[in-house]
Amino acid sequence: MPNFPLPYTDTKPQGAADFYFAINATFRFLYERLGRKAWIAYLEHLARGYFRPVNQAWQRGGLPSVASYWKAFFDAEPGGDVKVRASPDEVVIEVRECPAIAHLRRSGRAIVPYYCEHCAILGAARAAEAGFSMNLFGGNGSCRHVYRRAGELPPQNPADIKEVVPC
Amino acid sequence: MLGCYDFCGYYEATFQWLEERGGEELLHEYWLEAISKDSQRHARDLILGRGADGMMEYWGHTLNEESPDQGFSMSREGDVVRIDMHDCPSKGFLLRNGLEQYRDYCDHCIGWIGPLMKDAGYVIHHEHNHCGQCWWEFHKAENPSSPSDIGKLAKKDVRLTEDWKEHCKKLDAFFNAQSVLEKKTEP
Repeated sequence: MPNFPLPYTDTKPQGAADFYFAINATFRFLYERLGRKAWIAYLEHLARGYFRPVNQAWQRGGLPSVASYWKAFFDAEPGGDVKVRASPDEVVIEVRECPAIAHLRRSGRAIVPYYCEHCAILGAARAAEAGFSMNLFGGNGSCRHVYRRAGELPPQNPADIKEVVPC
Repeated sequence: MLGCYDFCGYYEATFQWLEERGGEELLHEYWLEAISKDSQRHARDLILGRGADGMMEYWGHTLNEESPDQGFSMSREGDVVRIDMHDCPSKGFLLRNGLEQYRDYCDHCIGWIGPLMKDAGYVIHHEHNHCGQCWWEFHKAENPSSPSDIGKLAKKDVRLTEDWKEHCKKLDAFFNAQSVLEKKTEP
């Protein structure tokens, strides 16, 4: 794997924001057509398969590689306001403005209320693969992701995740 | 978080997941309900409302956003709109990153565009070569004509390029189509 912290790279520096429409629509389809359990299974499938190169890099590189991944990740997302803080014991991602929620709202899209849960489901599954634990606090446009070593965070408290509400 | 930078990578993995779970039928339902009618409702509104003008506006914006290097060209003659894709940003991303879970990623385009064109009263002529090159023509369904001769409608007709000739060993083709189910594979 190259030193670049993102495993899959594009020729342009940032993605096209309209793809957030498809992410939101995919969640709606899976949840309504196949049910919540299937939606969770889908996210965990991506976490363990598609994201395997990231998980392996995190496992090799420890918390510094978690931090460098998320910095590069949000640099490549259009819009948003995100700060990544790394210390020897944890990585905290402060999402002051989520680029996805902001673009969907600006575009007048009906956002699935459980949109923010996907970050917790995906994040926790990827963290577990790499020997870490992850919790999410907040949502609905701003939130905080915390990564620590495995066993150092409790299981995700669902009450800590906000639903997305219409503006 | 799922981001938009590498969207095409896990979008493609989603096709395989859906097909394993519910077969081709579920995947086609996804392209129709989630992509054509929900995600791409801005395209649907433009094209159902304004026909060829709406197509030019929609693809003018979206292809420019996805492919700022202009790896495509758009042409129009009356109600016929043609797109030549020389370097698909989406398939190109997959090829460059060695991502292939689903057997034919390119099918997703006609999977969502086909039903939209059916509702808008158009038929589709289209070929893709699985290597990041394809072409599209949208003709009024009430007065369909054959695909344009090579180079007649578009100066940058992808069929004139060496890439097309080199990679056209196995083309997937659709003529007067409105659905992914109307595929003809050549040769």
